[in-house]
Amino acid sequence: MIKFNYKELILPYFILFIVVVLSIYPILYMISTSLMTSGEAANQYLFPKKLMFENYVEVWSSSNFQKYTINSIIISSIVVLGVLCTSIPAAYAFAKIDFPFRNIIFYSLLLSLMIPEIISLLPHLLIIRGDIFPLPFGPSWMNTLQGLTVPFFGNVFIIFLLRQYFKKIPNELWDAARIDGSTHFYFLRKIVIPMSRPIIVTVSLFAFILAWNSFAWPLLILTRDDWFPVTVSIYSFIREVGANYNLLMAACLIAIFPIIALYFFTQKFFLESISNFGIKE
Amino acid sequence: MTNFLKKYSNQLNGYFFILPAVFVISLFGIFPVFFGMYMSIHKWKVFKGRFLGFENYQKILGDISSFWLFILGLLIMIFSYWFWTEYKNKLKNNYIVFGVSILFLILSLIIINYSWASMMETGDKDFLYSLIYVFYYSFFSITLEVGLGLLIAFSLYQKLKGKQFFQMILLFPYITPAVMGGAVFFIIFGRAENSLLNELIGFFGFEPQLWLFDKRTLSEILFGIEAKGFFAGPSLALTTSILYGIWSYTGYYAIILLAGLSIIPSDLYEAAKTEGASRWQVFTKITIPLLMPIIFFLLLTGFINSFQAFNHILVMQTSSAGETMDVVTIEIFDHFWDRVKFGYAAAEGVILFIILNVLAISQYVIFRKNLNYD
Repeated sequence: MIKFNYKELILPYFILFIVVVLSIYPILYMISTSLMTSGEAANQYLFPKKLMFENYVEVWSSSNFQKYTINSIIISSIVVLGVLCTSIPAAYAFAKIDFPFRNIIFYSLLLSLMIPEIISLLPHLLIIRGDIFPLPFGPSWMNTLQGLTVPFFGNVFIIFLLRQYFKKIPNELWDAARIDGSTHFYFLRKIVIPMSRPIIVTVSLFAFILAWNSFAWPLLILTRDDWFPVTVSIYSFIREVGANYNLLMAACLIAIFPIIALYFFTQKFFLESISNFGIKE
Repeated sequence: MTNFLKKYSNQLNGYFFILPAVFVISLFGIFPVFFGMYMSIHKWKVFKGRFLGFENYQKILGDISSFWLFILGLLIMIFSYWFWTEYKNKLKNNYIVFGVSILFLILSLIIINYSWASMMETGDKDFLYSLIYVFYYSFFSITLEVGLGLLIAFSLYQKLKGKQFFQMILLFPYITPAVMGGAVFFIIFGRAENSLLNELIGFFGFEPQLWLFDKRTLSEILFGIEAKGFFAGPSLALTTSILYGIWSYTGYYAIILLAGLSIIPSDLYEAAKTEGASRWQVFTKITIPLLMPIIFFLLLTGFINSFQAFNHILVMQTSSAGETMDVVTIEIFDHFWDRVKFGYAAAEGVILFIILNVLAISQYVIFRKNLNYD
């Protein structure tokens, strides 16, 4: 690689400095504005004169926002659990068990990544309304928790990431376990899952972010606010005429806080698997 | 029975393990495409109506045959490129190959231009314009994201202090949820004349702008040219949403490209060094070709993803920007959410699906030579 010498290193540092500033500027802006009075926020001051921590209290204690945040946490956690329950066995089977049509099934699943989400949204809506076939647990899943979560239980991308990782586990381990009378299920639970903690943490974070981000789908299927997630509530906040920017930013900050916290705890794993992701095995 | 179970236990286990995932993915990932096609040929308001045949498509495209002509034009364009790369070194007479491929290129441009014009005349203008807008969005955001990502990856590859820190910050925009990120951009790129951003560009001698509230095209603002049609370029409002795309994805691409840079074997560089190659030669002859598979992968997935950009655009949309921010996903969503035309929206979705597939083919053909996964 073209290495720069000591003096020339100022250039990459300079580039990275600018990139860092630009990357975190919106978050800094969010923090600073969320601490202003509404007048200061409307005039786009750089810093607040007096730190208004009351803004957070005001947003949080307005009963609905609290509810929406908790909704988002519940929805995202259920999606993560569901995704892990379907994806780990599937990825294990695609990586380690030899059965007919294995690769054909896997690649046709991968093809579904090519399908734009916006096309699926409409048929999803009809499925959830119970128009196409009768659903378990009620005639319609509109305005329900299962309607918000179940469609996202299958994720090809996550199966793909897990499979890459499981493939690296040596086959000898399974051979040894089989001789000792272990079943696939036991082997998966006792050996493979503990060995794959980094990737499982990463895909969980991934699934959590995706679920936390989901916006168009809840907007479509929720007509009452019982299960509103934070994204939808912030969207309607922006659309309000004369919204107070300081409160809006405080709400946004509360809404991204769980994501940022999770990211800080898992960033090492996350970074590793993103780096590996583009490189084919 | 038990014998059968024992004999095939491995296979049965396999199917049993993939069953839940395959069930959910085929129901919510694959089935919707076919059902969308089924919906698109019916009159479908909230509930299914009568059979329409291709009437919805006719309304959208004006004349369906001109759409196929348009697709054919795109394929001929790809073919001309394929022909050139395939035969330029195989045949003795290079000029003939060049001439033939240029001829095909011109033919394809004529066909595309003609068919597009005829679709515009009789079809749904809003939808066709939304395709142009999404093309602007994808093209500008992807090229800039990958280009800037390469620059950042290159910087990170040097011997730096605090590499871990830089990488952590770089992924920060990527994990920021689009609705919240869009909300901040909505304020930063607001219309207030005394906003921070406008004061910043005022410092460099520019007039304050309306950003997300401005539907004038870039060419008009920058050069004062009032162009119409495809070459007018994106509006300032759409450009702002492109900036959001760049903000959120560049770091992510940089991390992947950095990983690609670090697996290039170092003896290649040493060999080049002993041969006396300049830095630029090393970059263009070694680094870029070896990075090509990853760049291809990023362009392909990036194009498909950015055609689907939705959340932040819906958040950042303003009424004064008019339709200039209505990229294709917004247009489709609008049709079935606000106007409750399910069948029509499904037909638009199917057209988007066909176009995405053609794009995927074209990218495969263009980068085919540079792909070496082994």
